[in-house]
Amino acid sequence: MKHNYEGCAICNSTWGNVWAEVEGEKLFFCCEICVAQYRGLIERVRQATGWSQLDSIEISGDRRGRTCEVAAGTAHARFLFSFNSEGKILRFQPAASLAPR
Amino acid sequence: MTKCPACRVGFARGDFPALAEHLVHRAEESDSDHVRWLNQNLTRTKSEAKSLVPSLEAFFDLGSASLTSWVKARFIAKFFGKAPHPFVVALQHPSRATLLGYVVEHQHFLRQWVRSCAFIMARTDRPEVVQYELDNLTTEYGGFGPDRPSHYELLLRMGESLGVDRAKVLSTPALPATRRAIEEWNEIATREHWVAVLTAMHSLELIANRNLVDEGASVHYFDPAILSGNEIPPAAQSFLREGYEADVGHSDEALALASRFAGELEVVEEVQSVFLRSMDLFDDYLIARLERAADFEA
Repeated sequence: MKHNYEGCAICNSTWGNVWAEVEGEKLFFCCEICVAQYRGLIERVRQATGWSQLDSIEISGDRRGRTCEVAAGTAHARFLFSFNSEGKILRFQPAASLAPR
Repeated sequence: MTKCPACRVGFARGDFPALAEHLVHRAEESDSDHVRWLNQNLTRTKSEAKSLVPSLEAFFDLGSASLTSWVKARFIAKFFGKAPHPFVVALQHPSRATLLGYVVEHQHFLRQWVRSCAFIMARTDRPEVVQYELDNLTTEYGGFGPDRPSHYELLLRMGESLGVDRAKVLSTPALPATRRAIEEWNEIATREHWVAVLTAMHSLELIANRNLVDEGASVHYFDPAILSGNEIPPAAQSFLREGYEADVGHSDEALALASRFAGELEVVEEVQSVFLRSMDLFDDYLIARLERAADFEA
């Protein structure tokens, strides 16, 4: 899957040293909370879209609220999301996609 | 003494190189509290300890400002910046669920509040601090008789006005984030210098300090318009109005005492770090109110 972040897959931080396998891919995270956040996010995106596989995910924002633009083939979707302090999804809702359809 | 703002471990006063080494070391171990603090306050980019030292010194430097001004600026940046805390956003025009999330989690907070303030009273030798805490505890928890119920009683009445009786509120266990925050606030109260406890706890009353907008806050804790009209029940207006009216004095008076005694007793650096940790706990606790609110959304 294509990512926009070079650091932690959720927050782009380069602190920390956690490597975790998600969806068959080994990814870098700054801490275990971000691992939980990313796993929960991917699960919610898959539930919401019904897509069996994601080709790309582009995350922006900060702890006060993030958005992700996801794509599978020619399909695109965008979601707003935030987490609680344990890394569980607190808010997850569709947003208008910025990508050309 | 200086202290780590993520775990409160101590170092010699002014030893920012040691604090930087500690932060980098704990971040290398992927400790979430230390990574979080670095990410949110200094940089998201992994750096060597020595390159962090100037940023740390600048972060803690009061310059020509008072401790009060430094605390307020940090608090505003965290909770009332361009993107205010999500609970503050929700409270501008609160739903029934938001107010009930507030009630259920906050009764746990207020019970710890009493304990924390009692520790300050037990450990200070300054009569003005004891007097301040007595007044605060009476307003928050004891009440001034039937005509002026405590903030705690007003909170429970707000819950009742929204259809949740106090027996249900009082028997609902705190969410994990609230519980963790309360446990650490209790530890802070029992172990840290009383001036640090005073600052760590009463700075949190800045959340309802309506004057912060004049000092750079992007919004109030809630839109003051909800105190009139019928957007929320009268019992909710009474609860919010009490904080709106009391917390300017509570926070300003406490911070004036904190500034004075932190300087006199030479504990400014540890007061700063314990305050920073308390803010992070409060951030998580406010999110827990929203998490609880979700239980009432259906």
